[in-house]
Amino acid sequence: MMLHVKPILSSLMRNKTGPLLLLVQIMLSVAIVANASFIIIERLSLMQRDSGVEETQVFTFNLYAFDTDTDIDLDKQRQRDLAAIRRLPEVIDASTINMSPLGGGGSSSTFTVGESQETSQYAPEAPIFYSDEHLVNTLGVKLIEGRNFYADEVITSGGEAPTLVLVTQVFAQKTWGDESPLGQIIYMGEWGDYPVKVIGVIETLQGAWVDREMNDNSLIFNVPMNGAFHKYVVRSDLDNIASLKEIIPALLHQDEPNRVIKGFKTIAEYRQSAYRAHELMATVLGMMVILLLLITSLGLAGLVMFNVGRRTKQIGTRRALGATKGDIVRFFLVENYIICIIGGSLGAILALQLGEQLMQLYSLPILAPIYPLLTFLGLIVLTTIAVIVPAQKAAMISPATATRSV
Amino acid sequence: MLAMKNVSKIFKTDLVETHALRDFNLEVNEGEFVAVTGPSGSGKTTFLNIAGLLEGFTQGDYFLDGVNISNVSDNKSAAIRNEKIGFIFQGFNLISDLNLAENVEVPLRYRGFNAKERQRRVIEALEQVGLAARMKHLPSQLSGGQQQRVAIARALAGKPRFLLADEPTGNLDSLMARQVMALLENINQAGTTIIMVTHDGDLARRAQRNIQIVDGQVCDFSLYQGQDLSATKEAHQQVNIANKPVAV
Repeated sequence: MMLHVKPILSSLMRNKTGPLLLLVQIMLSVAIVANASFIIIERLSLMQRDSGVEETQVFTFNLYAFDTDTDIDLDKQRQRDLAAIRRLPEVIDASTINMSPLGGGGSSSTFTVGESQETSQYAPEAPIFYSDEHLVNTLGVKLIEGRNFYADEVITSGGEAPTLVLVTQVFAQKTWGDESPLGQIIYMGEWGDYPVKVIGVIETLQGAWVDREMNDNSLIFNVPMNGAFHKYVVRSDLDNIASLKEIIPALLHQDEPNRVIKGFKTIAEYRQSAYRAHELMATVLGMMVILLLLITSLGLAGLVMFNVGRRTKQIGTRRALGATKGDIVRFFLVENYIICIIGGSLGAILALQLGEQLMQLYSLPILAPIYPLLTFLGLIVLTTIAVIVPAQKAAMISPATATRSV
Repeated sequence: MLAMKNVSKIFKTDLVETHALRDFNLEVNEGEFVAVTGPSGSGKTTFLNIAGLLEGFTQGDYFLDGVNISNVSDNKSAAIRNEKIGFIFQGFNLISDLNLAENVEVPLRYRGFNAKERQRRVIEALEQVGLAARMKHLPSQLSGGQQQRVAIARALAGKPRFLLADEPTGNLDSLMARQVMALLENINQAGTTIIMVTHDGDLARRAQRNIQIVDGQVCDFSLYQGQDLSATKEAHQQVNIANKPVAV
């Protein structure tokens, strides 16, 4: 089977304008589609990261005891609130928390680690949760090494620094490598200040900021937040969450009506809000990719249809001279594959250049070469689909056309 | 070599049935130079298309080299056209984007010849028509007569059994027409059978045999050489009046 590349190439070189415009279109499409696809995949993989939390079962709400001049012992009241919530049959567990995972705002800090002041270094920045021994079960996170806090290890008297910490395995890996994190000391502030001992490792727990690299480095300290404002976290079966939104405020108001309870939101809802911008960008880019590919395939099909119309006599003559229908289909496929391969190759190079610029300008990860390659292969498939129908139409042109005055 | 027996070609639309050829009988022998003439719409081009396997026919049998090729497949037709038949068209039908060598090479590529063999045949064919020196030129850089000579070279390059020429001088001035006709005569003398459709009576008379098609039927006046043909022609026309297209 001969592909007749040389005469097709000669013919293209002698009629440059149309093919050149299409080539530029293909080149730009590959460059843009490869980078847009890369960003979409990046965003989707970000969105699919596991927070470590049973997101549909866990919800948080805020409690404001705004009248702080009363004699009420807020810490005791918090403990009474939690005991009452935990007694509810619908509740699996409950605790207080200083920030919602994926919530968008909260606490983070850097720490110091090392054997001595001289050898000390900073551990990676980490989101920090202040809570008690109930948080692990309430969030549904998995403890994979060591142990949880015991009830008597939780520091409830306000103002004291934590002494124990649960770390995520990402934080442990970044800080101590393959060394066991259990028993290691991290210092809050400079080396020697406020030592905190690692007693357990959590598989995964994300902090509040979905866009920050440190979000997987979370730590849980053995000090629940104290004061007039509390964020409670509750875990229950999905079916009971709606009713608990009514039951819990009524229950807590029985103890002390003079406070505001609001802001019920599941972690799944926080996820939705946190990734809304990513979702929007992925959707917009996805539509742009589809539109670009559609425009490119229409361009390809349009050029072939134009060429079929322009070359009716030529096709008839080729058929008269011995071309089979298959030869005619192959002729148009090869002609457009040539444009597609040249445009696609240039587009792949342009895509990598563009990726580098985007990386520098917007701190995006570097474009993996697989993206331009896959876009290029996709374009070959698209070319085949766009060209095959008009090419088959061309193949139906009768050889008798050669003798007609058209 | 070529024999058509009772070949009919009917074009049908929803309203009208047109008999382009009816009970068409013709035999052409190896090495003959046959001129086919006839008024416009008489069926000359339909005959040429059928003879060249460019279109099918409704009834009858067509034998080429003794083989009935009435019902061959599309791919087989293409192969027969490529190997056995050389076409010369009134409008030359050169591909404007390709140079002369590439134009002549077109049927050879479909034959599957390798590059060396193609090049040898292209040079040989272009030398035969006196245009080897201009093989890199585009058709638009040549005169009409030269373009037709390239078309003849393209037809000859595959060394066909016979040439089908459709008004080969129709688009040429008289000087060019004479040159092209002389070239065709030389080719015929070298042994290639030629069937030429023409309007030009002077050119037709230079052929060995002159066939007239009237209303889709053959009227071979060479059979009546030396006789008064007026009565025969009149009788033929009377027959054909009855064969006019009818509405159905």
